[in-house]
Amino acid sequence: MVEIQDLKTSVDLGRGFVIKNPIMTASGTFGYCFEYARFYDIKKLGAIVTKAITLEPRAGNSGRRIFETCGGMINRIGLENVGVERFMAEKLPLLNKGGMDFVINIAGSSLEEYVSLAKICENHKIRATELNVSCPNVKSGCLEFGTDEKTLYGLVSQVRDEFSGCLIVKLTPNVTSVEKIAESAQKAGADAVSAINTLKGTGIKLTWAKNRFIKETVSGGLSGRAVKPVALGVVSRISQVLDIPIIGIGGIYDLADAFEFLSAGASAVQVGTANFTHPECAGCIADDLHDFMYENGIRSIEDLKEKLKGE
Amino acid sequence: MQVAKLKKHHKAKIISIKQVSLTQYFMKFVPLDDFSSKPGQFVSILCGGLTLRRPFSIASFDGNEIGVLFKLKGKGTEFLSNLRVGDEIDFVGAVGNGFKIENKRSLLIGAGVGVAPVFYLKTELEKMQIPSLLISGFQTEKEIPEGIECDKICTDDGTAGLHGSVINYIRNMIEEFKPEKIYACGPKIVLQNTAEIAQRYKIPCEVAMEKEMACSIGVCRGCVIKIKDKNGEKTASVCQDGPVFNGEAVLW
Repeated sequence: MVEIQDLKTSVDLGRGFVIKNPIMTASGTFGYCFEYARFYDIKKLGAIVTKAITLEPRAGNSGRRIFETCGGMINRIGLENVGVERFMAEKLPLLNKGGMDFVINIAGSSLEEYVSLAKICENHKIRATELNVSCPNVKSGCLEFGTDEKTLYGLVSQVRDEFSGCLIVKLTPNVTSVEKIAESAQKAGADAVSAINTLKGTGIKLTWAKNRFIKETVSGGLSGRAVKPVALGVVSRISQVLDIPIIGIGGIYDLADAFEFLSAGASAVQVGTANFTHPECAGCIADDLHDFMYENGIRSIEDLKEKLKGE
Repeated sequence: MQVAKLKKHHKAKIISIKQVSLTQYFMKFVPLDDFSSKPGQFVSILCGGLTLRRPFSIASFDGNEIGVLFKLKGKGTEFLSNLRVGDEIDFVGAVGNGFKIENKRSLLIGAGVGVAPVFYLKTELEKMQIPSLLISGFQTEKEIPEGIECDKICTDDGTAGLHGSVINYIRNMIEEFKPEKIYACGPKIVLQNTAEIAQRYKIPCEVAMEKEMACSIGVCRGCVIKIKDKNGEKTASVCQDGPVFNGEAVLW
């Protein structure tokens, strides 16, 4: 049995950004975190990732934004957010006061926008940012940067020049070779990558009424349990080519799911869509992880990962 | 850090579930811990293995038993309709802003399953001895939910009560009842008409809106509508900023 004070659940994501355990929450599914404080003590999480912040405020997409699918959901929110200026003035002080580690997710529609956002994060002494180069729901930018290795290299290098904290690049699965994209992020100076963002998908609902079909089409990003095998595949593949930490995302609902990602090569995980279904989900996984390690005498995440390789 | 005043995630036991019209069910359940709500708020119920919870307006709450009225629409409501007395459910709530009750003669308008929150409102207004009149519209007699008592009923096909859409009777009701405030819940077309007529009569009006939701607590921005703002327009989430909005503020 391991002594409780010897139990080390922390994970180093680079540049001194050491989170107390590998359980994080994914961008866009946890607001700015205070919304979930009414459900549980969110300080038990390793870190939370904010909703994506853009340079200017964004109203998001009009029309239907949510479509439930078998084992998941499609969203086409379109990065609705208050813009970086209001975020830094209104939300950042609360996050700083909150006492938990957090990552600011930033998204741009041009190289210049990403660079400006990186500068602003640097000026506000943000410890970690996640570069959103993988949102499928906006007309220009964002996803374009995450699908071409050269473009991504240029973008990450320039952001790297401006931002001295932990730089995480969030990868899209909507590419031919995710290994090449991941390698170029690492080469350009990323400290970690997170994978995966949502899969591009379309939901169609047809209703027969008054002798005709009423058709509703929702195209956006698929998330939830349905994407877990895709995410595990991506994490396995990029773990073969990367030296930097990988944060696994996609259909994580419990500790067993989180273990599968660590087994595939991730060092930490983000809980996303599950927050909507089970508001305390991420906190429960953090508790369960702690209990599992304690009960089984596993001293660190490195030891756990070693054991999770299986036999 | 914000401290939770009241737990928002509950387990509850079903104490009755009954088909009350051709396509509607009324389910009553008792939460296993402290719960409070006001008319216009809703609960978001976990439906088996489905990804998204389903939001339902609270149709009654007597301090112990919560009632919801739901219409069979898809997988979520089908799951609920198969639950039995004694089964446990998992819900988030009460969430949303709720109606702003005022000591004013109140005209309540419900349409279809949208009668639920205005029925709850009527019970509360009666407790406070605020005069009210509830008029509800349904497609046909077989769609009138049993146990939901309304002062006036209309059916689209004239099989019960007044003949025609509830929209056609709003003006009459205003002239006869002379309300100082109007509350409505139902399909968008009913709410829009109610809001526009209320505005013409210069009567304050609150409408309870409906939209597909993911998180139901204001996080995901999946259920937004457009409302008027000092700078033109802005988005508002139905789950947290609503579901009740001033009729005048909504951009239809």
